[in-house]
Amino acid sequence: MSANPSPAKTAAGASTAVVSVGSLVVRYGRDAKPTLEEISFSVPKGSVYALLGRNGAGKSSLVRCLLGQQKPTAGRCFLFGEDVWKRRARLMAKVGVVPEDPDAPPSMTARQLSAFCARIYPTWDAPAVEARLARFGVPAGTPYGNLSKGQRALVALALALASSPELLVLDDPTLGLDVVARRAFFEELVGELADRGTTVLLTSHDLTGVESMATHVGMLKGGRLILDEDLEALKSRFRRLRYANEATENPTRYGQELSDFDAVKVKVRGWGVEAVVSNYGDETFAKFAALEGVVDAEASALSLEEIFVAIAGEASPGRNA
Amino acid sequence: MSRGLSVDPSDAVPLWKQIEENVRRLVASGALKPASVMPSVRDLARDLSINPATVTKGYQRLVDAGILVVRRGEGTFVAQKPPSLPRGEREKELEGGAMRYASLAVTLGAANEEAVEQVRGALKDLGKKKKDEDS
Repeated sequence: MSANPSPAKTAAGASTAVVSVGSLVVRYGRDAKPTLEEISFSVPKGSVYALLGRNGAGKSSLVRCLLGQQKPTAGRCFLFGEDVWKRRARLMAKVGVVPEDPDAPPSMTARQLSAFCARIYPTWDAPAVEARLARFGVPAGTPYGNLSKGQRALVALALALASSPELLVLDDPTLGLDVVARRAFFEELVGELADRGTTVLLTSHDLTGVESMATHVGMLKGGRLILDEDLEALKSRFRRLRYANEATENPTRYGQELSDFDAVKVKVRGWGVEAVVSNYGDETFAKFAALEGVVDAEASALSLEEIFVAIAGEASPGRNA
Repeated sequence: MSRGLSVDPSDAVPLWKQIEENVRRLVASGALKPASVMPSVRDLARDLSINPATVTKGYQRLVDAGILVVRRGEGTFVAQKPPSLPRGEREKELEGGAMRYASLAVTLGAANEEAVEQVRGALKDLGKKKKDEDS
């Protein structure tokens, strides 16, 4: 498998990068296997960068480093060109965060939380918080502890947007939300993007939502960033190929016919062969389809979720592991 | 407002291109009348739950192609007349579109006659829809 994380992209545009991570290593314990190994990537201004990975891939450690909540073992994280570990307080004033499990004192109401934050952030817009809560249908005067999970996430979003942040960090914000809350969350996010062009870094299990919103995708697997790419480019190079194989005598085998492709996954089915390739091109495909023994070849698009499953999803190591 | 304008994020065709193609289709079939107002970027993005930058990109392509026009302070509208392209450019556009369709037909394993038949059918459908809309 050759999932090149297109290294050229990370170096380019560093000057306009809102987030920039260089050779980040996180290791818990001297002899332990690193949780994050040599992670480098950047988030361009105005982009929506989705950081994907299965549980345990290192997403949470990466987000903590990015927010200056954790000192990396090695390497550095920059926000707006400044080292976040050294300038945390100042930089965080420009960042809005919706944590994975938004936490607040259970007795405080959203209105009280807003008033509290207003004392910390110089650019706090308390009326905007009230307006958003009204739009969400979340009562501003109910204690946080009495709100549903969806309502808490929406309160967290209203608070995160109140300081007109330049960067919004969303840590799996729609996890466990019902359809209505999820819809409200995305509508508000769309409005924010339309009005202010805010840069967004999000982690999510909701790949359908990511697919509609993201401009860039990064994928963590086993502590490494195995993918860092423009979403459109990523989707254009992945395809599922299906064909009947008459090249070998035994139809349950496949031969050299796929050699022009980088096959991420190959499965032999009763009717033929199914492969996921990561370097699809119309010309390569036409050549492949015309090969002797390749019959009824078809190429079909993959959703982001299918791409994710193909490269990161299998629990058991495949032939490329 | 965004009647007939739908997109499929999981498709291989980029979302901005789906918007571009859908609007072209709706204009060609007469479902979107000349001079009618288009939804704002913000409204369409919200309706479709997609990134507004994607809508902007799709609209921009349509404006560049002369299908839509932007009137400052008023919004985006369907152009009064179909765009008149210089002769060479018009041919190039047609050729490019034909090549894209031909590639699709080949990757789906369609026979030549089948592919051509589909084009005939599509043209007929558009013609019929336009008639229905006009009457």
